[in-house]
Amino acid sequence: MRSYSKPTLLAIGWLGLMLFFALFGWILPFKEWNYVFEDDLEMGLFSSGHILGTDSNGYDLLASIVAGTRMSIFIAVAAVGLGGLIGSVLGIFSAYVRGKVDTVMVTLFNVGLSVPNLVLALALVSVLATNVDINQAVPTWRRVMVLIISLTIILIPILGRIARGATMSWAGREFVTAARSMGMKDIKIITKHIVPNVLPALIAVAFLAVGVVIIAEASLSILGVGIPDGASWGGMIARGRNDLEYAPHTLYVPLFFLALTVISTNHLGDVVRSKLDSREAKV
Amino acid sequence: MAGSGTAHMRNTVDAVLTVRDLTVEFRTGRDKVVRAVSGLSFDVIKGETLAIVGESGCGKTTLARAVLQLPPPNSGEVVFDGTDLTTLPKENLRSARTSMQMIFQDPISSLDPRMTVQQLIDEPLEIWGRGDRAERAERINNLLNNVGLDPELVLNRRSYEFSGGQCQRISIARALALDPRMLICDEPVSALDVSIQAQILNLLQDMKDRFGLTMIFISHDLAVVKAVSNRVIVMYLGKICEVAPPETLYAKPAHHYTKALLDSVPVADPTRQRKATLLQGEPPSPMNPPTGCRFRTRCNAASAMCAEQEPQLREVAPGQFVACHHPIS
Amino acid sequence: MSSLLSVKGMNINFDTSRGLLEAVRNVDLEIPAGMSVGVVGESGSGKTVMCRAAMGLLQGSNVKRSGKVVFDGRELTAMSKSEVREQFGSGMAMIFQDPMTALNPVRRIGSQVSEGLRVRLGMSKKDALARSKELLELVRIPNAAAVLKLFPFQLSGGMRQRVMIAIAISCSPKLLFADEPTTALDVTVQAQILQLLRELREDLKMSMVLVTHDLGVVAGNTDYVAVMYAGEVVEFAETKKLFADMRMPYTEALLESIPTIDQKSGARLAVIAGRLPDPTDRGAGCSFAPRCKYAQDKCRNEHPELKQDPDGHLYRCWFPIGEAK
Ligand SMILES: Nc1ncnc2c1ncn2[C@@H]1O[C@H](COP(=O)(O)OP(=O)(O)O)[C@@H](O)[C@H]1O
Ligand code: SF4
Ligand code: SF4
Ligand SMILES: [Mg+2]
Repeated sequence: MRSYSKPTLLAIGWLGLMLFFALFGWILPFKEWNYVFEDDLEMGLFSSGHILGTDSNGYDLLASIVAGTRMSIFIAVAAVGLGGLIGSVLGIFSAYVRGKVDTVMVTLFNVGLSVPNLVLALALVSVLATNVDINQAVPTWRRVMVLIISLTIILIPILGRIARGATMSWAGREFVTAARSMGMKDIKIITKHIVPNVLPALIAVAFLAVGVVIIAEASLSILGVGIPDGASWGGMIARGRNDLEYAPHTLYVPLFFLALTVISTNHLGDVVRSKLDSREAKV
Repeated sequence: MAGSGTAHMRNTVDAVLTVRDLTVEFRTGRDKVVRAVSGLSFDVIKGETLAIVGESGCGKTTLARAVLQLPPPNSGEVVFDGTDLTTLPKENLRSARTSMQMIFQDPISSLDPRMTVQQLIDEPLEIWGRGDRAERAERINNLLNNVGLDPELVLNRRSYEFSGGQCQRISIARALALDPRMLICDEPVSALDVSIQAQILNLLQDMKDRFGLTMIFISHDLAVVKAVSNRVIVMYLGKICEVAPPETLYAKPAHHYTKALLDSVPVADPTRQRKATLLQGEPPSPMNPPTGCRFRTRCNAASAMCAEQEPQLREVAPGQFVACHHPIS
Repeated sequence: MSSLLSVKGMNINFDTSRGLLEAVRNVDLEIPAGMSVGVVGESGSGKTVMCRAAMGLLQGSNVKRSGKVVFDGRELTAMSKSEVREQFGSGMAMIFQDPMTALNPVRRIGSQVSEGLRVRLGMSKKDALARSKELLELVRIPNAAAVLKLFPFQLSGGMRQRVMIAIAISCSPKLLFADEPTTALDVTVQAQILQLLRELREDLKMSMVLVTHDLGVVAGNTDYVAVMYAGEVVEFAETKKLFADMRMPYTEALLESIPTIDQKSGARLAVIAGRLPDPTDRGAGCSFAPRCKYAQDKCRNEHPELKQDPDGHLYRCWFPIGEAK
């Protein structure tokens, strides 16, 4: 009964592989991603021992990709999860309550949306992830945390507004008034009638957001405020950029993984969206 | 008081619901206010069906919701069974509402698409802890049988698998679950085929007789309420134009608006097409209603007086009250 | 009289997960030039599918169709898709039940009304807008110049339907399909829209197919009526004759079930018991037999053929009203 098109199956397959890298990458027989193969600098694609080659530091690119997947996917999922959670709680609540609360919330969302994403992230990261003592390096875990928080803050108004819009349309349906007239409590109405109906729309957007976040993380790394020396796709792109002339694959390999992943999440977002539309057409 | 008057109030102890001077406003902009219901009063006597008729936007739905306090009116009293609902604390209101249930216009949108019929009708019973699981299941079966649906066939299906008429039956079963004393039906048949309308109207009539309900029945179509109502209120832009028993109202409408509404009902007979001029245009915005009589901008009989003075309800025949300076006689 | 549109032996089936759904069965229909023909039946009786198929608008991989449609002397069913498309606007046009979903919510009224004028008639933007204003005035929209700048949600249902009508008549079609144009509207607005359609039809010499579930709407607004039941045309006659001398038990039941202002208050209303039969399971006999008060054994076993009275009145019934049983 459920049948998926070829592109959809490919997207699911690809994201499955990425998820496997992220969760179980450690069982693969690789050395540390930043183990330096001193004799194997800048090896090309499909070299023996290094399927995807090595970069100018002597890092194995496949090992870097696998470790980078863990980091990039972790950042994306954490930011989208947190942003989605906070955003939808705020959006659903303000759309349901309406009135002043809603006006204030809409204003806040709009302010958040009016600042260009990258500028906002840049500002947040540079404020939060710099040390007073400039000679002391900021530990990677702290940079990651800051990155997640910044991206979450960017996502809250985006996802919040979508949750708010969806709630508005569902809360206006008469079954919500019917539930009230039966004496159902508001909190119950929200959890039982609003959330389950709003959720599919949010999931569709969350897929798109994962793609956006992966790109944002990469962009920040290139700008030097992400984790440029760390194991993330953004970090790899930032490093590979310098070697574009003599070892272009060190840039193309992470770009390829990033692009395919973003295309896959976008495609799946569209699929969920259209499933939803056809369901709504029936409703 | 502006326009409506209270001459039609019966002030008897039999009144289940008495609404006095009800006003509902919506804020639509910085300092723009729409007064959807304007100082309206009426009463409903036990066992009676009161019909409220008027064009879209005249405030019928707002009125019905204000009675249920969804949302509460800006001013006025809503006395149900001796208690003024507008002053009731939230928790008491929640339980008071259960004895007044509502049927909505859009049969599909009034049912949560994610829930099965079983869950839909169980919901009110569950909220109020009426009986254990087995008792509730039994009650759901009874309710479905009452509204002419076969429980075995419908229990596990969802609203979008049903036609509009069937959805309306499900809504009625759900509304009856809590043994309400009063049913407020907001255009319950307007979204249905004419051939299905009669089925639902008969069903509502049966349920009313069987459970001793009192009803408010809202419609934009005078033809629909003829058979079911004991008293009809014709409304225009948030106010009452005319109140009368159906026999009088349909035979001798006294308000020009009532006459216009009657004339717009299609007649299923090619040889009896009315030549009467139609009601022109649409109602003016309730944001700034016309002075004096609100209907004057569309009324053929309007005089200078109609622009200056607001007509008050007065009795022109036994039980027939009209708010018009120059009623049709 | 010549017919503008002629449908012969139309069958439309849909492949569905529940089996073959027979939506339109063996329909013959003639729309005489300059006339208005009502198509009446309950929701699900096949009215909309029949009209869309007649217009060549029915799409989808699961559609199976047969039959012949001739419009204005040309066989539509033999034309290519783009040739059929050529017909839209100047040949045939359509208005729908829900003008909100038929209009684009994010484009101004002016650009939506002028689109056909620019694309089909090749008008300049300025001319098209000026003509749009005239069209809005033609459909009696007050303050037309201001309305051109509005979005659909800023208009009432009645006004939106008028805009739809303005779009439909913008390229002077010969035939207008109106699919339940007043079902979503108040009775007062319905009366206005029907009057408008009557007048436009006369002024523009346009033919019309008026689809509705309400025999009351048909009575004052059509010259001929086709009654559909379970995908078939079960009765066809001049409107006056149909109401004066109904032959089909279904049409009679449909008429009796309409709530009217003449009925006694407190009286029980007449209803058609039961519901339309399952469209994937067409039985052997008359489709209406399970609900028909005149049904006899023959009705349940043999499918009634189309019969014709000398005056051209068509019906599909073994025991028509007014004949000795
Ligand atoms: N939430 C709202 N905000 C602003 N205006 C509203 C709202 N609800 C209803 N109105 C306005 O109140 C008036 C009465 O509406 P309503 O009670 O729905 O009329 P009816 O039920 O008779 O069609 C209309 O002008 C409508 O636009
Ligand atoms: S005659 Fe005057 S008061 Fe009466 S309905 Fe017309 S405008 Fe109103
Ligand atoms: S054929 Fe028989 S069942 Fe069918 S409509 Fe005629 S009398 Fe009724
Ligand atoms: Mg309403």
